[in-house]
Amino acid sequence: MIKCSNLVLGHKNKSISKPINLQIPTNSWVGIVGKNGVGKSTFFKTLLNQLPPIAGEITIHNKRKIDVNNISYIPQERDINAEEKTSGLTLVKYSYKANYLGMPFFNKAFNDKLNYLITLTQTSDYISKPFKDLSGGQKKRVYLVQALINSPTILLLDEPLSDLDPEARHEFIGCLKQIHNQENITMLIISHDMKEISSQLDAFIHFKDGGCHYCDKMPCLKEDICV
Amino acid sequence: MFSYSFMQYAFIAGTIIALVCGIISFFVIVRRLSFAAHALGHISLTGAAGAVLISMSAMTGQLIINIFAGILMGAFGDKIKKNDIAVGIVLTFFLGLGTYFLFLYQTGYSGSVMSILVGNILTVSLEQIYELLGLAIFTIFLLAIIARPLFISSLDPVFAESKNIPNKLLSMLLFIAIAITVSMACQVVGILLVFSLLIGPAAIATQWVDGFYKPIILSTIVSVVTVWSGIISAYYIDVPISFIITTIICGLYIIGILKNRFI
Repeated sequence: MIKCSNLVLGHKNKSISKPINLQIPTNSWVGIVGKNGVGKSTFFKTLLNQLPPIAGEITIHNKRKIDVNNISYIPQERDINAEEKTSGLTLVKYSYKANYLGMPFFNKAFNDKLNYLITLTQTSDYISKPFKDLSGGQKKRVYLVQALINSPTILLLDEPLSDLDPEARHEFIGCLKQIHNQENITMLIISHDMKEISSQLDAFIHFKDGGCHYCDKMPCLKEDICV
Repeated sequence: MFSYSFMQYAFIAGTIIALVCGIISFFVIVRRLSFAAHALGHISLTGAAGAVLISMSAMTGQLIINIFAGILMGAFGDKIKKNDIAVGIVLTFFLGLGTYFLFLYQTGYSGSVMSILVGNILTVSLEQIYELLGLAIFTIFLLAIIARPLFISSLDPVFAESKNIPNKLLSMLLFIAIAITVSMACQVVGILLVFSLLIGPAAIATQWVDGFYKPIILSTIVSVVTVWSGIISAYYIDVPISFIITTIICGLYIIGILKNRFI
């Protein structure tokens, strides 16, 4: 369970939210909605320990110290410095326990996990191909494998659907559904377009007017024009 | 050819330097630091000129100033993309300092600084070989420790940040390793062309293979074979070693481009 008590989000000393009190149940799939600049991505960064909260605290599984190896994050934008031949597989493999020192080595348990994830995300056709030649949707699914390789208990997705065409978007949502069904993982997803995905979600967190509230159904969000 | 001790020394020194260059060039390429490698080569001149002023060995001067400049570059440059600006500022400052040192040393100016510019592996002494070996072991050891976070933070900086990997510290450590390598490699190819050994081997290797170990191994092979060819050719036909090395590297790189374009 992710629990926020009187959590105030912000950069440096400038707060951007009122105190937030939330409880997100373990293994739920929760959509995060709200206008731009309202603090959705800041909320993720605070969860990831990249931005300290201005006030209040977050506990994950009743622990106050956040273990980043338990949380995976798929950001909205990023550049991969892939060379001519660098494949998605290389990206995934070397993301495994990336914050450990020493030379990287892989054992059988790792390879089994990798093969399982490749099957789960249906990326086997292109994961060994040069990353720079993949389509946007294919890259997104490789990112999913990368995010899951460290067996996280929480997965944060920041606008994963925004630059996908309808077909790729549909496939990606199917893939997320599979993960939600088969893995023990809490998934938080920020999205501006909840139409297609809302029926899959367990609940929503609605950021509005500096605060946010937790709601089980889409209807309470309808009043907000940006949703 | 090997009956001459200077040729034996040249081969040993060349091999040590080529090994380190082959390995480090992989990180220079994946971290997009080719400009920094080039800059550290030029900054070496300041180190050499300064060292000669106070009658130290040129390589010691290069080492000190390169490590110092490397740390500065790592500290100033935050994101990998913005690094160029920090590198440029540090580079121009040190080059200015270098011209000042040369100006101070005008009267007694000898060939020692000049030989750093173009390199001269045929004059390497046994003592220098020990020095090179020590530096090489230190550099490879340092890289082996940080290899894992360094590779992923170069490939995917945003992911690395989300795992709280200290990007800046890693940059600084890599800069120190590059600084040491540059000081070593200047003995072979000289300041002006050190760049080619620091980016060439891995630039070629990454055109052909994927992964982590494979490109490092291939890059090391390219580097060693190139340096050997350079020394051998220089012995039989009277051409500068650095010319042979840069020609081979450029040739192999072009082959790689053509292969990826047409096959």
